[in-house]
Formats: sequence, C-alpha cells, structure tokens
Amino acid sequence: MECVFGMVCDGFVLVAADTSAVNSILVHKSDEDKIMVLDSHKLLGASGESGDRVQFTEYIQKNVSLYQFRNGIPLTTAATANFTRGELATALRKNPYSVNLLLAGYDKETGPSLYYIDYIASCHKVEKGAFGYGAYFSLSMMDRHYRSGMSLEEATDLAEKCIVEIRSRLVVAPPNFVIKIVDKDGARVHKWVDSIKDEGAAAVAAALAAA
Amino acid sequence: MKLDSGLENSSSIFLGGCSGLEADFSAPPLFDLPITNDFDGWQKKSVQMVKPARGTTTLAFIFKEGVMVAADSRASMGGYISSQSVKKIIEINPYMLGTMAGGAADCQFWHRNLGVKCRLHELANKRRISVTGASKLLANILYSYRGMGLSVGTMIAGWDEKGPGLYYVDSEGGRLKGTRFSVGSGSPYAYGVLDNGYKYDMSIPEAAELARRAIYHATFRDAASGGVASVYYVGPDGWKKMSGDDVGELHYSYYPVVPSVVEQEMTEVPVA
Amino acid sequence: MASQKLHRSFNFTAFITMSRRYDSRTTIFSPEGRLYQVEYAMEAIGNAGSAIGVLSKDGVVLIGEKKVTSKLLQTSKTTEKMYKIDDHVACAVAGIMSDANILINTARVAAQRYTFSYQEPMPVEQLVQSLCDTKQGYTQFGGLRPFGVSFLFAGWDKNYGFQLYASDPSGNYSGWKAAAIGANNQAAQSMLKQDYKDEITREEAVELALKVLSKTMDSTSLTSEKLELAEVFLSPTGEVKYQVRSSESLSELLIKAGVTQPAAESS
Repeated sequence: MECVFGMVCDGFVLVAADTSAVNSILVHKSDEDKIMVLDSHKLLGASGESGDRVQFTEYIQKNVSLYQFRNGIPLTTAATANFTRGELATALRKNPYSVNLLLAGYDKETGPSLYYIDYIASCHKVEKGAFGYGAYFSLSMMDRHYRSGMSLEEATDLAEKCIVEIRSRLVVAPPNFVIKIVDKDGARVHKWVDSIKDEGAAAVAAALAAA
Repeated sequence: MKLDSGLENSSSIFLGGCSGLEADFSAPPLFDLPITNDFDGWQKKSVQMVKPARGTTTLAFIFKEGVMVAADSRASMGGYISSQSVKKIIEINPYMLGTMAGGAADCQFWHRNLGVKCRLHELANKRRISVTGASKLLANILYSYRGMGLSVGTMIAGWDEKGPGLYYVDSEGGRLKGTRFSVGSGSPYAYGVLDNGYKYDMSIPEAAELARRAIYHATFRDAASGGVASVYYVGPDGWKKMSGDDVGELHYSYYPVVPSVVEQEMTEVPVA
Repeated sequence: MASQKLHRSFNFTAFITMSRRYDSRTTIFSPEGRLYQVEYAMEAIGNAGSAIGVLSKDGVVLIGEKKVTSKLLQTSKTTEKMYKIDDHVACAVAGIMSDANILINTARVAAQRYTFSYQEPMPVEQLVQSLCDTKQGYTQFGGLRPFGVSFLFAGWDKNYGFQLYASDPSGNYSGWKAAAIGANNQAAQSMLKQDYKDEITREEAVELALKVLSKTMDSTSLTSEKLELAEVFLSPTGEVKYQVRSSESLSELLIKAGVTQPAAESS
C-alpha cells in the first residue's frame, strides 16, 4: 500500500514515494508519479484516493502558479503549506479531500524545509515525515538513522534502507519507488528504485523519445 | 379505471381501512413502497440490482502499431444474464474508442457526452482533441459527480498528433496514463494472459489475437463475462474492428473436442 | 428620422459644453474619452490637506498637513491622516475622510485575510493593488460615485524592502521615491524632484519632507498642531516598526529643520 516519506538534509530536501496505482486487489500501474513538482523549487508528495490526489495537487499547483503570475513573486514554502492547509480545512466540512501531503521546498531566505499536512488539515513543519502503511517502517528507520545535515549520499542511502525495509516487512509492499530532491538548483527526480519493469511502458517511452 | 391490476393491491394495502374513499378520489397509481426499517440498505440493494456491477472484461494496450482494444459483450444483473450482445466498445469518433465497464447507462451516456465535447473541440480548434485532453475532460466530469452514485470504469484509447494514447478513467475520479489496462470483474484473468503474452514489437494480427485470447480466457473463468469477444485496433488512420467471435465457438476452436478412448463400456451384468 | 434627430442633438451638444451630458455618469466615457466623475473626484482631493511621502534607504517617511477648520474643534488624540494597515504597512490620506475610512477598513481586512491564508505578511504592492481594484470597481459599475481619496502607502516586505506607493480615485497606483498628494501636490512634487537624492537617509528624508511641506502649505506658519509625521523602518532586531512622532518631538524637528518661522517665499 501507499508509502510517502521525506526528510530535510544539508541544503536539500528528499522526498520518496511508491509508484503503484492500486484498485482493491489490482495494481493498474507501477510507474505512477505521486510526487508533483509544484513549482521550480517545491515538491508535493501525496497519498490518498487517486481521484482526490490528482485533483487536489493539481488545484494547489495551479493556484501557486496563479499567484506567481498575478504578483510576480513566488510563494514561499511556508506560505504554500499554510495555503494548502487552509484549502483542506475549508473543504473538510463540505466535501473533504482524502489526501495526505508532504510539501518540500527550498527558499532563498530559509533554505530547505518540509511540511507535513494531513487530510484533516493539520500542518506541521518537520525535519522528517511519512504517510501510508510504509510510514510504520520508514518512520522508525528515520528516527534511528536520521541526522540533521545529511549529505545526498547519506540521505539516498537512508531512503533506500527504508524502501528495503518496506519491501521485506510490508505484506502489500509496492514494487517501485521514486526519489526526488529539491535544493537551491530546483526540484527534480533523483532516482527510481524499481524492482519490476514494465516492458510496454519502457518501449512506448523509448518510441516517443525517438519520434 | 385501474391501469394496472398489480397496483390495485398495493393501494389497498396502504389505504387500509379507508377503502371507502378510494372510489371518490380516482387515486393515481401508487408505487409499492418498501416495507423496511432499513431504507438505506434497501436502496443500496436496489441500486445494485439495477446497476450491473463491473461484470465485464475489457482491455486495451499500446504496442508498436497502435492501440488494441477488446471487450466481451455480456450484461448481467446479479445472477441473471440480461444480454449477450452489448456493444462495450464505444466509438467516440473515428480516432477514439471508449470501453464500458460498470453502469451501462452511465458509461453510454457519458461517452456520448464526451463525443459531443470532442466534436465541439474539433470544430472550435480545427484539429482533433488529444487522447490526453479527452480523458481529462471525462475525468473532470466524473470527478464533479463523485460520491453521487455514478459507476464508470473506462479506458479511452485513440490516436492523436503524438501517436497512440491510452488512459484509464473511473467514476472515483481516477485517471491513469498507461500502456496496458484491463477493467471489469474479469480483468485479473485478462491481465494474466495479457501480461504474459505482451511484447511491444507485435504485429497487428499478433496483437489482435492476444487481445481476443485474453478476453476469451476471462470469459471462461468469470461468470459475469461472456458472449462475443470483439477486438478493435486504432492506428494512424483511425479505428478498425478486427474481429467479433462468440466465445463459445472460440473455446471449441482453441480446444477442439478430442475423441477419447472410452475407458470402460457398460455391459450387461450376467444374471447370477 | 431617428438618425436625423440624433444628428441634430450631437451638433447641439458639440457646441454646448461636452461635460453636461456625460459628467453625471460615472460609468460612461465622454466623446473625448474622459470620465468626468473620476476627474471631479481628483479635483476634490486637490483641495484637501496634502501629504508627502519620501522613501529612504532605511525607512519611509510620511508627512501630512492637518487642516484646522475651527479653533473650537477638538484636536484628535489619534492620528487623522496616518493609518496603520498592518504591522508592516501604513498609509497617509488626502481627500474625503469618510470615503477613506471605508477603504482603510477594506485594506486592513485584505491584509488580515492574507495572513490568515498564508501565515505571512501581505506583500505591500499586493495590498495596494487589492485596494486599487476596489477603487477601480467604483469607476465602472453603475450608479456609484468613485472614492474621493488618494493614498500614500509606506511599507516594507521581504521581497522588495521599503516601498512607497501613491494611488488616486481612478484606481491607478504607482511606486515612487518621493510623492505628494492633495493640495499643491504638483508644486511639492517638483520640489521633491529637485531636492531628492538617492541614498538619502531617513533623517534627511524627514527634513526634506518638512521643508517641502512648509513651502507648499497655504498657511503661513508650520506648527506641530498642523502636522502629522509617521515613519516605517526596521528596528535593530529586524522587525518592521511604524512610529508616529509626538507633538513635542515634532516641534523639535521643526526647529532643527528651521521651518518654524513663517515661510518667506510661500506659494
């Protein structure tokens, strides 16, 4: 089942998420990217019902870019977190979105930061956080091995340790994960941690790239 | 005058002792109200009866030459097979197909609605809508009705400026881009055959056969799937129907009856 | 026939003043492309007590002239022309005070709403823009008169530091290094243009503002009762401060700037 986790490190934030799209017992897809690049320096890792997840994260993304168009300045990570929290809170008593979020960002003044926002609209600034069934494993792993100011190698290593633990202890463990980072140079994919490959997806991607 | 003798009963049940009044007011025919304490439960069951649940097998996949789309043709309401000749592959326009799983009415209605919107897009923009755009259009509509009882599980497959496109869209608002999907109660069976036989570099006949075979095997195991296995192919020049075979006949062509040696003949037992 | 009649009336009005037909409508352009009601509103501000703002590298200075209409009038304990919008923004007003009160309230609400949504202070220009959107609305939508107010906004935000903006009844706004609104604003503006230097300090800015105001004011002498002076600056700890000068410190400033004496070359 779903696993999203992240941690603040030395000058960057790392966010990892599984890439399975599941419908009851069926896995529809194992390369579904659940970490949205919100703007040039923000990542939004999300878990929850597939419809809500996509609709809500896109809604936030569009609002963040609208703000930038209107005002010519980007929203800070803290402001985005509070805005997102506010949107969840207003929706909560009407038609709630079932999404849990990890918002990671890098700001010039404040550096890297990570916000934990859940579907009942609580918002915390954290240095490490996790959602989903994978959280039970990754949280304790991070509690044990996390230090503030970890390098990219150390952080990647810890993220991979978490993934290995999830794969070996969680009954319904997802096969593939994606790790993304955001630092002063922007938000980007760091690496994919795959244990199964889909021939079709790879071939279509290759064919598209060739065309 | 009573229009329906069946209603006569029910009205007398509900009007009970006041049967004398019945003659004075030409009472409109009444619906039989459910006699239940659990109205919600009753309603849910009724909806289930009217809505053939995902008793279906549909599949679609992208391969070298385009997209292959296939489905069975059975409609069931619970244990009852209400039709063996349902068109589950809906032709949205000459370049785009939708598949149908879930509520037949919901699927049919929203696909036709999508067809309208795609055509309007074409008229306004002088170019066909992309598969991405069309599927997003449908997903947004379905999402706006979320929690209101729509039941749709569909794949939008087609060919646009970027080449072949395939999306899975459902009434929970989910929308997934992919290369290989199967939807419906028979989908696990279909996936089994499909995943195993899939190669990107298939020819059109090979792909069509794989699709047909996957549907056949799903209908074999899934009681709610059956009828005809129809296969469509979407390529650069639009869609084309490849085949439509009765799965019963397919069964015998895949597994012909082999005359086997009788192990033991029945013989007269001599009277002792 | 209808067109004939129209034609005749057009000729007629062309000779009589154009404003007659169009000046009572806020939302209708005159044939010369003017909005008379908006222009009249600006005219009204031209008679109001003036205000001057000067931007310096370490703060923004706002200064305003209070019109003392009667000796009997109780001088207000609080400020009349300076209003704090949020912890980091203040404004000076010229025009109809009752109109200004409505807009100030709108601005305060906008600033609080923003902090409610984003948990950080509203960028100054956004605040000004939101207020000007309200002002603009009243020049376009039927049956209403525009607000007879001009503002000077002084503020600080993390994006652009200290800022000074001026807005008018049409809903136009612009950023300035030094600006004047209200009576004699053009004279004040040209003096500011002459005497303003980049890299000016806050202290110098206060002096400049006092000097310009003393020269452009109609009354002959500048006293602390006729003045209001507010500053927006950063405290040593880095917080934004809004400070209004007391009457005593104003008197001291006036002496220091040498403008207590009746201005010789009063305009």
